[in-house]
Amino acid sequence: MQVVVNALASAAIIAPAAVGFTLTFMLFRYANFAVGAFVMLGAFAAWTVNVTAGLPLWAGGIAALAIGAMTVALSDRLVFRPLQGRTGATLLLVSVALSFVLENVIRFFYGSQIKGFDLPLTGPLMIGDLRITREALAVVTISGIAILSTAALLTLTPIGRALRAVADNTSLADVRGLPVGSIQTVGMIIAGALFGLSGTLVGIDLAIDPGLSWAVTIPIIAAAIFGGLGSPLGAALGALAIGFAEELTVMFLAPAYKGAVGFMVIVVVLLLRPQGLLGVAVDRK
Amino acid sequence: MTALPLRIEASGLTKRFGGIAVVDAVSFQAHAGEIVGLIGPNGAGKTTLFNLLSRVLRSDAGTLLINGIDATRRAPHELATLGLVRTFQLARELDRLTVLENVLLAARDNRGERLFDALCRPAATRKSEHAMIQQAREALSIVSLAPHEAKPAAALSGGQKKLLELARCLMSGADIILLDEIAAGVAPHLVEEIVDLVARLNREHGKTFVVIEHNVGVISRLCSRVVVMAQGSVIAEGSFETISRDANVIASYLGQAA
Repeated sequence: MQVVVNALASAAIIAPAAVGFTLTFMLFRYANFAVGAFVMLGAFAAWTVNVTAGLPLWAGGIAALAIGAMTVALSDRLVFRPLQGRTGATLLLVSVALSFVLENVIRFFYGSQIKGFDLPLTGPLMIGDLRITREALAVVTISGIAILSTAALLTLTPIGRALRAVADNTSLADVRGLPVGSIQTVGMIIAGALFGLSGTLVGIDLAIDPGLSWAVTIPIIAAAIFGGLGSPLGAALGALAIGFAEELTVMFLAPAYKGAVGFMVIVVVLLLRPQGLLGVAVDRK
Repeated sequence: MTALPLRIEASGLTKRFGGIAVVDAVSFQAHAGEIVGLIGPNGAGKTTLFNLLSRVLRSDAGTLLINGIDATRRAPHELATLGLVRTFQLARELDRLTVLENVLLAARDNRGERLFDALCRPAATRKSEHAMIQQAREALSIVSLAPHEAKPAAALSGGQKKLLELARCLMSGADIILLDEIAAGVAPHLVEEIVDLVARLNREHGKTFVVIEHNVGVISRLCSRVVVMAQGSVIAEGSFETISRDANVIASYLGQAA
């Protein structure tokens, strides 16, 4: 049972970012490897407000959402939009480069020391033998709410409909009179906020340092691929799968192999079911 | 005829692919309330002319006025705002969205699709969304697709997709509709339905149509005026009777079929 709790907690951390990654992929058809850097940036934004400014963590979380949304929207404008129409491989490489830039900007201003949030000490909740920290409970709840509201936004609202239309067929949506550019920006703002949220959540669980970006990039992308790129719900389920795979690895193999889980999942999914769990097989036109 | 306002006024439209002028200095007008047929052999440049009129392709030369407003440099999506929408030869739908959603997306000025309004004016947004859904359902019932509104667009037959295209054109509120081979690849009973529908929309809703069609029966029933193209140029223009007697037209097109 303890495994389930731990897996849920680590799934909850990467799930919002995985949904954000899949949203980016839906809209632009490229894999943005800077996800980890955006998450790391979110963690630092939350840390700055929480520790430097001494405000409670929820305020830090809001700052992380805002900074995440802003950075992603800006990077979209300044870096990815000008390269629109290039192949996915080009954009992928550019996103890796962007990731290094962001990581080193943070290193320049904050140094490389490990940081942590300033959280009040609380005892865990005990249900029988089960040990649930209050932080984990909060992480899972907040992450769940964020993913459900993103899903509701996409399926129930006009702006969500417009986003799905652009994701389905960008040029057709353009001909249909949708303001594709601004809809894509809205999508990037939502994705950025999700990265920022993941950043806050990851800071609760792990130490915050600029190297964080690469530690979370692979699990996030693995979760999105597992769920089927282009399916936000699938990305959330993928995060769960990654969470469990990681916990089981820690339990039966060794914690040292935890980092390899993401890679293994990517390999297995691409071999057995390339469209992922909920993805639709793409016919290349 | 001349008293009616000009909906489309294109002059000297030219498009070259490589060195070849696929559309060569074509001038084209459509008046309010007309159904203009555009015919010609394959490769005559009909669809390319449509692409120029709807700005899907940029013209190399020429000017285009839509409802009297210069549209020569507009983006394709802006043309809907000026009152011109089109269908495609192969009905293209947003497959993963439902039939109703496809129609809703055609609405001009959909408040809820703008983030500012969605966030800052939720009540007004909800109200306008409600009205939009009402209007979209009406459009669907005009084209008799109402029972299919919740299906994903991918589940529709070829003919139904063309009806959906028409519903979208209605939803956009545009008064000029370009139909690219709307009867092609459609079951015969649906062709009848589509022809009747176009005639009715023209008569009752005052829509102006430009129709590319290979089915001469459809053209003769619908069109008040027919423009014949061959090799990128207009070679004849007039009522169906006039052009069907034109020696040029018979040689280059109608004669082929006979």
